[in-house]
Amino acid sequence: MTQTADSANDRSPQAVLEDAFSRFAPDRIAISFSGAEDVVLIDMAAQLVDELQVFSLDTGRLHPETYTFIEQVREHYGVDIEVLMPDPEEVNEMVRKKGLFSFYRDGHQECCAIRKIQPLRKKLATLDAWITGQRRDQSVTRTEVPQWQDDQAFGTAERPLVKVNPLAGWSSAQVWQYIRNEQVPYNPLHDRGFLSIGCEPCTRAVGPHEHERAGRWWWEEATRKECGLHAENLAAETQSVRIIE
Amino acid sequence: MTITFVKKILADGTPCPKCQDVEERLHKGGHWDAIDETLIADERDPQSPGMHLAARLGVTRAPFFVVREDTDSGVEEKVYTVYFKFQKEVLQQQTKGSDEAREILRDNPDLDFL
Ligand code: SF4
Repeated sequence: MTQTADSANDRSPQAVLEDAFSRFAPDRIAISFSGAEDVVLIDMAAQLVDELQVFSLDTGRLHPETYTFIEQVREHYGVDIEVLMPDPEEVNEMVRKKGLFSFYRDGHQECCAIRKIQPLRKKLATLDAWITGQRRDQSVTRTEVPQWQDDQAFGTAERPLVKVNPLAGWSSAQVWQYIRNEQVPYNPLHDRGFLSIGCEPCTRAVGPHEHERAGRWWWEEATRKECGLHAENLAAETQSVRIIE
Repeated sequence: MTITFVKKILADGTPCPKCQDVEERLHKGGHWDAIDETLIADERDPQSPGMHLAARLGVTRAPFFVVREDTDSGVEEKVYTVYFKFQKEVLQQQTKGSDEAREILRDNPDLDFL
């Protein structure tokens, strides 16, 4: 059942993880690891269960530091990390027709759909639940992220999927406090001003007062990047029915 | 069976790009004739026919399709807010995985930020 985003009723990330691992068989639940600060999930989970399923989306465009970090995490925690790659034919077709940097011209959706969403969708079809590092403070589009939700994007009526977001209520500062206190390894790009880490051509370091979302797809207008958001806010203020783009 | 297509006009008076895209795909795929009725959901006018229908059905996304069918127990209404599901189930058309992925991403803008 989907919870509402409610900081007052949030449980600790460890309690959420424990609950998730007790409800789903080890081969039916996995952590999605982006190679960034969501490493804290692996650290917490490794203390709770012996059998841990972790996957990472390798878009083929990650920073070298991220590949090295994924390897470091594999060794540090002794976990297998499944690296999911996009369908080479689809990548080839896009690159042949549009080049290697089509996202700067056409927007990032097509490339992200091929390099991230498709492999993710394929993987999620084998699971009953997945665990993400999504947090409410990461983006204005994430302010409603609950700790536990029915995944409407990838689940279906016939094949329901649960999305578990143990860190939903944590701030970036809390995540970093945990990383320091527990001496969790982290991606060295964070020390170079990268708050959010994604693909190399689409991620940049941000200034001290910039939001982490500003480090992604910065060439796209905010309204496109946060698709549907403005309509949603406007609609919520002015009418009882709102239709999201 | 009757099919209603509801497309949105944004609060600034411009057509919703996703609705335009879906309409274009219906035309390109030769499915426009399957649509019996097109309603406008104008965000500036909660009484516009599309907004009215959305309110009645509790729909919060656009574009959307309403498929009405006569059954033994009366008229059954099915709402589709995801185009590729509508394509597959109602138009019985094969969809490309990459198109489906794009639609998932467009409906869930957070997913790229993984
Ligand atoms: S973040 Fe950039 S390079 Fe990576 S999949 Fe998306 S558009 Fe492509």
